[in-house]
Amino acid sequence: MKLLQQTRTKFVEQEEKLIVEGPTPRPGLIDLRNWDYRIIDTYNPLYTSQSDTCDYCTFGKCDLTCNKRGACGIDLETHSAREGMMTCIMGAACHTAHARHLLNYFINRYGNDHPIDVGPTSLNAPVTEVIMGFQPETMGDFRPVLDYVEEQLTNLISSAHTGQEGSARDFESKTLHAGMLDHLGMEVAEITQISCLGFPKSDENAPLAEIGMGILDQDKPIVICVGHNVVASGYILDHMDWNGLFDKIEIAGLCCTAHELTRYNKNTKIIGSMSKQLKYIRSGIPDVLVVDEQCVRADILREAKELFIPVIATNDKCTHGLPDRSNDSIDEIIDDLVSGKQAGALILDFEKVGELVPRLAMKIGPIRKAKGITAIPTDEDFKKLVSKCTNCLKCTRDCPQSLPIADAMEAATNGDISKFEHLHEKCVGCGICDNCPAGIPVLNVIEKASQRIIKLEKGRVRIGKGQISDDEIIKEAMNLELGITPGVIALVGCSNYPDGTKGIYDVAEEMLERGYIVLTSGCSAMDIGLHKNADGKTLYERYTGKFSRGNLLNAGSCVSNAHIGATTIKIASILAGIQTKGNYEEIADFVLNAVGAVGIAWGAFSQKAFAIATGCNRLGIPVVTGPQGAKYRRALIGKPYKKEEGGIMSTNDDSIVNSEPAPEHLMITAETKDDLLPLIAKLCIRPGDTSTARAVKLTHYIELSEKYLKKMPDDWHIYVRNETDIPIAKKEQLLKLLDEKRRTINIDKDKEKIIGNSLLKFGTPVHLTNIPPLCEEV
Amino acid sequence: MTKKEDVKTTRHTGKTIDTTRHATPFDTGNIPGPKTARAVMPAVSGKILARAQRPLLIVGSQIHDKEILERVVTIGRRGIQIAAAGNAYKSLTDQKELDVHQVNMHALAAYLCDPSWHGLDKKGNYDLVAFFGITYYYASQIIATLKNFSKIKVISIDKYYHPNANISFGNLKNDIFTAALDEVIAQLPKVKKNF
Ligand code: SF4
Ligand code: SF4
Repeated sequence: MKLLQQTRTKFVEQEEKLIVEGPTPRPGLIDLRNWDYRIIDTYNPLYTSQSDTCDYCTFGKCDLTCNKRGACGIDLETHSAREGMMTCIMGAACHTAHARHLLNYFINRYGNDHPIDVGPTSLNAPVTEVIMGFQPETMGDFRPVLDYVEEQLTNLISSAHTGQEGSARDFESKTLHAGMLDHLGMEVAEITQISCLGFPKSDENAPLAEIGMGILDQDKPIVICVGHNVVASGYILDHMDWNGLFDKIEIAGLCCTAHELTRYNKNTKIIGSMSKQLKYIRSGIPDVLVVDEQCVRADILREAKELFIPVIATNDKCTHGLPDRSNDSIDEIIDDLVSGKQAGALILDFEKVGELVPRLAMKIGPIRKAKGITAIPTDEDFKKLVSKCTNCLKCTRDCPQSLPIADAMEAATNGDISKFEHLHEKCVGCGICDNCPAGIPVLNVIEKASQRIIKLEKGRVRIGKGQISDDEIIKEAMNLELGITPGVIALVGCSNYPDGTKGIYDVAEEMLERGYIVLTSGCSAMDIGLHKNADGKTLYERYTGKFSRGNLLNAGSCVSNAHIGATTIKIASILAGIQTKGNYEEIADFVLNAVGAVGIAWGAFSQKAFAIATGCNRLGIPVVTGPQGAKYRRALIGKPYKKEEGGIMSTNDDSIVNSEPAPEHLMITAETKDDLLPLIAKLCIRPGDTSTARAVKLTHYIELSEKYLKKMPDDWHIYVRNETDIPIAKKEQLLKLLDEKRRTINIDKDKEKIIGNSLLKFGTPVHLTNIPPLCEEV
Repeated sequence: MTKKEDVKTTRHTGKTIDTTRHATPFDTGNIPGPKTARAVMPAVSGKILARAQRPLLIVGSQIHDKEILERVVTIGRRGIQIAAAGNAYKSLTDQKELDVHQVNMHALAAYLCDPSWHGLDKKGNYDLVAFFGITYYYASQIIATLKNFSKIKVISIDKYYHPNANISFGNLKNDIFTAALDEVIAQLPKVKKNF
C-alpha cells in the first residue's frame, strides 16, 4: 500500500513538471472533430459491411439491410461506422497494453528517470509531442501519455454502447481518434524498448538477420518465440549469452517478436510472419514454443500438444488456459513438461522463463528428435491422402485465398507436385482447409509436397533501425523537394496477401528501382527478405537502410510503425518549421498537402493494421490495402468529380486557389499489384509539389500505368498545373493530349506551351493548407 | 422455379445449363444477412441486362483466360459499357471499339452510390450493374455497398453465387459458366444498342 502511494506521488510530480503547449494538447473526443470532418467531407466513408445485421444488444438481432434502422434506432451506416471504430479500438488497445506492459516493467527495473534515447534527434518522441504537447525526456514522462490513451480508449469504447453515439460521422471522427491513439501507444512501446534494450538507433547499417523456414540447424534443440513482446524472450537470450549456449541451441522468432529478438541479439534468427506459424509448428521442428502476446494462434496449445512441443506462455493477456507455474521450481516444471504430464505452463516470472526455456529445450530436444515427431505425412501416406480427394472443393471455399487445392491433389496423384509448391507460396497457413470431408489434413499435405522449396527458403532481413534521424531527413530534403525521390512508400502490416510473398517483394523492387524510399516493418519487412534476384541477393543486400533516394529501410516490428508518422512529423517540423507541440491539426494538414508518403498494407488482416492505417489517415497519410482490406468494412474515398470546385488556401497570401485531388483517396484497396503500383505513384502527388517534383511523380504514374495496365492513365492531365509539371520525355505528346482533355488549360499550339490555366494560378504556391494558422510562426 | 423452356444444354458436352443449383455463398463464411440473391437462369439475367436503361459491366482480375475474355469482349460489342477493375484492362487494351474504362473497384462503388455522379462517360449514373471475373471476396464485399446504400440493381453473372447481388447464378463448373455467359449474351441486342 505504501509503495503504491509512493508511486502515485511520483506520478503527480512527473505530470506537474511537464508543461504542455499548443492549440490542442491531449485532445479529447471532440477536440479534433473539425479536422476529422474535413477529412470525411473530402474522403467520404464507404461501408462494405460484412454483415447486414446487428447483434450488439438483446433488442436484436436486428436486420439493417438497405440501411434500415434497428430496434435501438441505429442504421447500417452508423452501425458499420461503429464496427470500424471498435476494430480500431481493439488495435489501439493491443499496442497500448503492450506499451503499458513494457513501460511498467522497465520503470520497475530502471526507474522513472531512465532517459529516452532513440539516437540523434531534436524530437525524442514526435507523435507524443504533437498529441500531448510536451517532449518526454524520461521513461516516467511516458506515464501520463499512457494514462491519457487509456482514458480516451475507455471513453471511445463507451460510445459504442447501445444508446450512445448515433451519428456515423461522429463515429468516424472517433475512429480517427482511436487511430491516432494507436500511434501514441506504439510510440511509447517502441521508444521504451529502444531506450531500455539497446536496440539499433537510426542505424542505416544495422546488420542482416537470417530469415526463412529452412535456416535452422535441426540437429540442435530449437526454441521458437512467438508474438510481439520481447521481455520474456530477452531473458532467454541473456541466459543463453551468459552460459554460452548459442552454439548448442537454435533460437528464432515468429512474427514481430522475431524482429525484436534480432534487434536485441544478433545471434537470433527469423522464421517468418504469422502465416508461417502453423506451418512451422506442424513441421515438428520446434522443441519449445514460447508465446508472449498478439498474433499467437488461438489453437497453438492444441497444435503443439499433438506434437509434444511444450508451450510456455509468458503474458497475462495470452494464457491459453495453462496453469500458472510462476512460483514453482524450474526442475518441477521441466519434469512435468518432459514427462508429458502437462502440455505447457504459464510463467510470469521472466527470470525463471530465461533459465527454464534453454534447459527445457536441451532436455526435450533430443527426446523429440529421437522420436522424429512431425505432422508431415510420409511419402506413402502422402500418396494415399491425395488419392482420397473427391474434388468437392470444400477446402477452396473455406480458404481465405480460394486456392485451387483439388487441382493440386489431382496433379499429385499423377506424380506432379509443382502445383502444391505453387500453393505453398500463396498459402497463408491458416489450416481451415483441414475441415476436409474426406479427412485429408490438407495443410500437412501441402507442406509435405513443398519440402524441397521449404528447405531452400533462406533469406535476409536488415534488422530494424528504429527512428529516422534528423540528419537523414535534412540531407534528403532537396531530393524530396525536387522529386529526385518521388515519394516515401511504407510497406507495412500482415501477410494475408492476395498473391503470396512475391507480390510485396515485386512492389518493393519496382518502387526502389524508381528511386522511391521504401520504409517497411512487421511481417511485410520479413516477407520482402524472402526473395532474391538472379545474383542471389535479397533487396536488403542490394539497398542500404538509409533514408535516402531508392533505399530500403526496415523500421522494425509492428510498434515500429510509429516511426512512419513520426518521420512525416519530423519533415513538417524540420523542413517546414511547423510547431509540433500540441499542434496536431497543422501538422496533419501539412502532411496531407505536402508530404508525398503512402502506406501500403498489402496483406493486412489484423485489427492493429486497421488502427495503424487509420492513425496514418488522421495524420494525412493515405493508405492502400490489398483486396482483403475491403473486409475492414470502411474505406475513405475521394470524389475527384466533386473536387473541381474545391479550394485550398495559399499560405503565401491567404488566397483560395483551386487544387487537384491530391491525394485522391485516404483509404482504399487495390485488387492486384498491377493496379496497386500506379495507384501508389498517384497517391504520392500532393498539392504542395514543386513543378519538378510533380513532373517526376507524373512520369512514374504514367509509366507504371502503361507498364502494368497497358494504358495511359485517364486522369494524368488533372495533375498538370503548368508547363513545367509536364514530364519532359513525353512533352510533345502530352501537350497534344492535354489540349484535347483539359479545357481549363490554354495551350499555344505553335509554341507548344501552356499559356494559361483558368482553374489554377500559373505557378501555384508551394505551401498550401486546409486550415487557418493555429500557432504563431516559429 | 426453373421453367422447362429456359433449360438449355452446353454445346459440346450436352450438359444441362441450370444456374440455379448450388446457390450458397462460394466462400463458406460469406453469409451477409436475411436478404440474399435470387438464383436465376442465364436467360433471366440476359433479359434484365438487355432491358436496362444505363447498364454497366464490371470485370476484374479473373478475366484473362481466353474463354472468359472472349465473352467480355462480346458483351462489350453488344454496346454494354465496361468498367475494368483490378488489372482487367491489360487484356482489353487492344479492344479499341469497346467502351472500356479503367477503374478502382472501391472508388467505383463510392461513385455509384452517389446519384449526382456523372458516370464513366459523363452521361449520368447507371441503373444496373452486372459483374463477373473479380476476386470473389473482393467483389462480394464491395457490392454489399451497392446492395445497402444505393438503388442500383446488381446482377452477378459470375461463376460463383454472390449473396449480396439482387440476382446471381449458383456456383458453376467452368463449362456451365461459359455456356451461361453465352446464354446471357444471346439475350442482348445483336446490333450495338446505344445505352
Ligand atoms: S475438401 Fe478435401 S476432398 Fe474436398 S476438394 Fe478439398 S481436399 Fe479434396
Ligand atoms: S492453410 Fe493455406 S491452403 Fe489451407 S485454407 Fe489456409 S491459406 Fe488456404
